[in-house]
Amino acid sequence: MFDAAVRLYDSFTSWLFQVAVQPALYQLGMMEWAEDAFSWMDFFVFGFVQVLVVYAVCRPLEAWRPVERWEDRRVVTTDIAYTLLSRLGVLPLMAFVILAGVQAQVAGWIADLGWVAPNLETLVPGLESRPLAAFLVYILILDFGEYWRHRLQHSIPWWWALHSIHHAQEKMTFWTDDRNHVIDDMIAALWFGGLALLIGVPPGQFPLIVLILRVAESLSHANVRLSFGRLGERLLVSPRFHRLHHGVLSAGQEGRNFAVLFPLWDMIFRTGDFRRDVFPRTGDPEAPRELVQGGWWRQQVAGTRRLWRALRGLPARG
Amino acid sequence: MRSTLLALPLLLGWSLQGAKAEVLFVVNSMDPGIQVLDVATRAELRQIPVLREPHHLALSPARDVLLVGDSGGNEILFIDPATGELRKRERIANPYNLEFSPDGKMLVVTGLRRDQVDIYAWEAGTASLNLLGRVKPGDMPSHIAYRPDSKMAYVTVQGSRAIAAIDLETRQIAWTMQVGREPAGIIWHNGKLLVGVMGADFVAVVDPEGRRVERQIKVGRGAHALFPSPGGGPVYVTSRVDSRITALDPVTLDIMRVYDVPGGPDCISFDERGRLWTTLRWTRQIGLLDPETGEVSTSPVGRSPHGILFQARNLHPRTDATAAR
Repeated sequence: MFDAAVRLYDSFTSWLFQVAVQPALYQLGMMEWAEDAFSWMDFFVFGFVQVLVVYAVCRPLEAWRPVERWEDRRVVTTDIAYTLLSRLGVLPLMAFVILAGVQAQVAGWIADLGWVAPNLETLVPGLESRPLAAFLVYILILDFGEYWRHRLQHSIPWWWALHSIHHAQEKMTFWTDDRNHVIDDMIAALWFGGLALLIGVPPGQFPLIVLILRVAESLSHANVRLSFGRLGERLLVSPRFHRLHHGVLSAGQEGRNFAVLFPLWDMIFRTGDFRRDVFPRTGDPEAPRELVQGGWWRQQVAGTRRLWRALRGLPARG
Repeated sequence: MRSTLLALPLLLGWSLQGAKAEVLFVVNSMDPGIQVLDVATRAELRQIPVLREPHHLALSPARDVLLVGDSGGNEILFIDPATGELRKRERIANPYNLEFSPDGKMLVVTGLRRDQVDIYAWEAGTASLNLLGRVKPGDMPSHIAYRPDSKMAYVTVQGSRAIAAIDLETRQIAWTMQVGREPAGIIWHNGKLLVGVMGADFVAVVDPEGRRVERQIKVGRGAHALFPSPGGGPVYVTSRVDSRITALDPVTLDIMRVYDVPGGPDCISFDERGRLWTTLRWTRQIGLLDPETGEVSTSPVGRSPHGILFQARNLHPRTDATAAR
């Protein structure tokens, strides 16, 4: 069955590349990117797969045991727009193209120094012949990077000005994961992609790692009364664990539960809250209404204004 | 089940040497790994794991070491072509393509993602490389050719629409010239340079002395790499967008025949019957083209296969590397 799925996927991507992507690159005079485009086409196909997988996992859970029920779901529709723009959009590709140009310069400079950049497999004996172990170590490191990016989003004023769009949602669902300012998304893509390049994540594994993290993040935002139990809560981020992070008393610098996949980081850095019976209301009481109820465009404009004020050292409101 | 069947020859204790087999080395750039296939059965005899993203290969002048560049893993793998055994790995930054000089004394390596070209001395006795020099010819240096006297190397520079001539004695760039959008494959042929212009549909015939494009031969969109057949036969050109292989007359360079080869043909290696084994970049397959009949048969391999080498015992194997000389 797995072989059949792989063959089906290969046939589809092969067809898509030959009838659409490669001719487009040829017309645009970008054939030098053909090999990279073939690799990165997976990212976009994976975008569709991600949305399907996330919906299949999270929607039944939300219908089964919702924390909250709402008559008016218009603000959820805005989050759906965010998801489709983010996961099927061009932001990851833009980050890759920018990084590839920078990487060529950095790689040449490093080679001139006589140093050959290592991979984890060459640094850690044993990983070379254990691809699954190497894969898990890569996820662990990338998740550690995500934990600290998230901490900084809450502690640096201009970054919080952007990230507060994400926390303004009072009707949090699994679609809320992608509710971010585009500048925040760009920074996130550069942060994540840069770390992946730095530690040498195999390009072939990158989409799978992204898929795992994205499914986990979407599930953690789901409107479902679900805890993973005393032990499970300490192994993987649950909807209960992340809901505390989105609680109305948790926004801004007082945040808790920053982890994306492994709560381990919150345990190590003492930012974890493991009360298993608490499912608070979500949202940021200080957020202006356009961040809460505005559509995609209004939220982007408001977020940019808040960023500009923060950069000038002014309070977010006013 | 399928993988078990493919591994059967290995389970039965076959080795390349013991079986006296004709074998194929196939470099899968996106799986990643090197497959050793039995030509007769197409069964996998061995799988050589590679860290990241291998692309091209080169057989040493004495044909006793097969070098494979892992451009994403920053390694060159040294493989025994008779047994398929991995002898050693050497840390070298981004070795995308690699080619031995005709006199067998040097190896030129292009670093596509670091915009550099390295010139190494090849120590045949110890199978070791010693960096002699490094040049920066422009954006995305890719394929390599040599003048027969081994004093000059020519590199296509895809992002700069150019080829660069590198003086191997001074290890400096002697000159560069524009040839067309995204030039890829390049060979020395009867005193001229033939360049596959991937962003267009032609082979540029370049006079290296006059430094001018003398002629353009239309072969199909995405003209890519060129391979002179053994014994002075046709020059074959792959076109990745139109998915075809074009046979050029070795003297006049006129088109002799066009073969449709679906799947994006890339590198070619010839067997002793003059048939063409080619990697099909976009379909997880290799193809076998009989130039007499025009028939193409395919076999499954890993994802995005790139370099390929037909290896027959006591015969002179040709690779995408050796063919370019």
